[in-house]
Amino acid sequence: MRERTMLFIQRELAGSLRARWFLVYSGVFLLSGLLLATFGAGNVAIHGYRGFAKAFAGLVHLALLFVPLMALFPATSAIAEERESGALEYLLAQPVTFGEVYAGKWIGVSVAVLLALTIGLGAAGAVAVIRGVPPGLVAMLYGFVVLLALAFVALGLFLSTLTQSRARATTIGIVLWLVLVAVGSLGIMVAFVRWGLPEQILVLWTFVNPVESFRIGVVSALDPDLSLLGPVGASVVGQFGARGTTAMAGLALAAWTALPGLAGWLAFRRIR
Amino acid sequence: MIRARSLTKRFGRQRVLDDVALDVGAGERVALLGLNGAGKTTLMRCLLGLVSFEGDLSIAGCDVRSDGREARAHLGYVPQRVPHFDGTLAEVVEFFARLRASNRERVRERLVTLGLSLDEHGDKSIRELSGGMLQKVLLALALGEQVPLLLLDEPTANLDPRARGEFLRALRQIDRQTTVLLASHRLADVEALAERLVVLHDGRIVFDGTMPDLWERVGAAVTLWMRVPASQRDGARDHLHSRHGVPAVVANGAAIGLKVGHSAGADVLVELRRVGIPIEAFWTEHPSLHELLEGILAQGSGERAAGP
Repeated sequence: MRERTMLFIQRELAGSLRARWFLVYSGVFLLSGLLLATFGAGNVAIHGYRGFAKAFAGLVHLALLFVPLMALFPATSAIAEERESGALEYLLAQPVTFGEVYAGKWIGVSVAVLLALTIGLGAAGAVAVIRGVPPGLVAMLYGFVVLLALAFVALGLFLSTLTQSRARATTIGIVLWLVLVAVGSLGIMVAFVRWGLPEQILVLWTFVNPVESFRIGVVSALDPDLSLLGPVGASVVGQFGARGTTAMAGLALAAWTALPGLAGWLAFRRIR
Repeated sequence: MIRARSLTKRFGRQRVLDDVALDVGAGERVALLGLNGAGKTTLMRCLLGLVSFEGDLSIAGCDVRSDGREARAHLGYVPQRVPHFDGTLAEVVEFFARLRASNRERVRERLVTLGLSLDEHGDKSIRELSGGMLQKVLLALALGEQVPLLLLDEPTANLDPRARGEFLRALRQIDRQTTVLLASHRLADVEALAERLVVLHDGRIVFDGTMPDLWERVGAAVTLWMRVPASQRDGARDHLHSRHGVPAVVANGAAIGLKVGHSAGADVLVELRRVGIPIEAFWTEHPSLHELLEGILAQGSGERAAGP
């Protein structure tokens, strides 16, 4: 079992390293991260920790926009593309189990995405640390970025098992990303102001939307300040405290990894 | 090698396979014949564990449903549609050889015997290879460590005539110990490779027997077309009229056609030469699969010819 799963992981990794998305996303993330870390972290010397935190928010927002896309693109292709080309049927006709194929793809895509992220964020983080940012904060940001990426890999894989073509899976993934990133936060705020939704709905939305979980989780750990958290975040931190919010956001992202991943597995088994 | 009992597959309310019972012994070469939608590919997909089904199905004693991986370890598979992979030919061969725990050198040798050298083509992207070359790669991978069962699902359906000829030649080289199950709707492919025919229609087996059994059952004949010198055409026709009866002889431009029994063509050619009529060219024309099926169905789908 382990040997064949490893083979699929290696195959996914090799495919990702060959693919353009890996180079483009790594490069863009690397450059943007380096720019933000170089110019943003300059505030540390003048304003101390709090000054840095505001500048570091740039990196957080960069991750918030890029990481879901980086994860969705290869994950939505992973199964749908091979199904479309007939390769999936041929793979499953070999002496392997459905579980080995699915696990290999899930882990392989996750490792490839994390590798691209590590290249981009690793360089930015190193510059930030050199310029005086505490390594613990960089590690914490990296940890949340990993959780966000894994959540969107699992979501993408789930979509990939449900669709017959790569194009359709990717389109649904991008629409989902738009809803969660752009419309999600904005929409819930508009609804809150327009219809006066109860505060509990806002709190729930924070943990139901993985992008919001990431944002609130990182910012509450860095600097639980209203200007960065926003009214929703401030409300959540007010209820659970900064550490409680960070922990709950981490758990929400972990759940976003486990649940779509398992749902994808159930859908994958039903391919037969 | 293959044992199916009460094998039924439904898609919604439609039964694509309907209570199929089939035994294929070790070393047999069996062709699954049928029109599109007859259930050939579904039967293959059941054997591969790619679809759920009702009934019992085993390969080399391994239950396909509960022990699918072990069952698939006994077989090699060449699909109708060539799957598209990323990477070079060498990488793809390496991956599948490792996945199937095959000896890579053996696969490499198989490729050479099929006319494909990894030294020459190994660095080429798999997408650069022609359909015929890819089918040969799949055949080499399928045979790998001399698997006991080879499943071929219309492997020549998308090949041009030249590639098809090469692929069929390659198939004829397969070790006699290997059991072959070939799904096809081309009678010519089947004649070249299989000794036993299983004809499916609407998900049911309507014929199971040898090729001569089939000809005898449906009373079908091949048309032997002959081209003789123009000066002797009337003489040849008269001779054939007198020997075989008027209705059997037809003319089509310069050629004379005669309906003969499945294996009687050679006798006719010898007979004409014996009476001094030279044969410039000859060819045979088989009845279509559709015509054969009509013949089988006309006799009642419940009837079964004696199996081998």
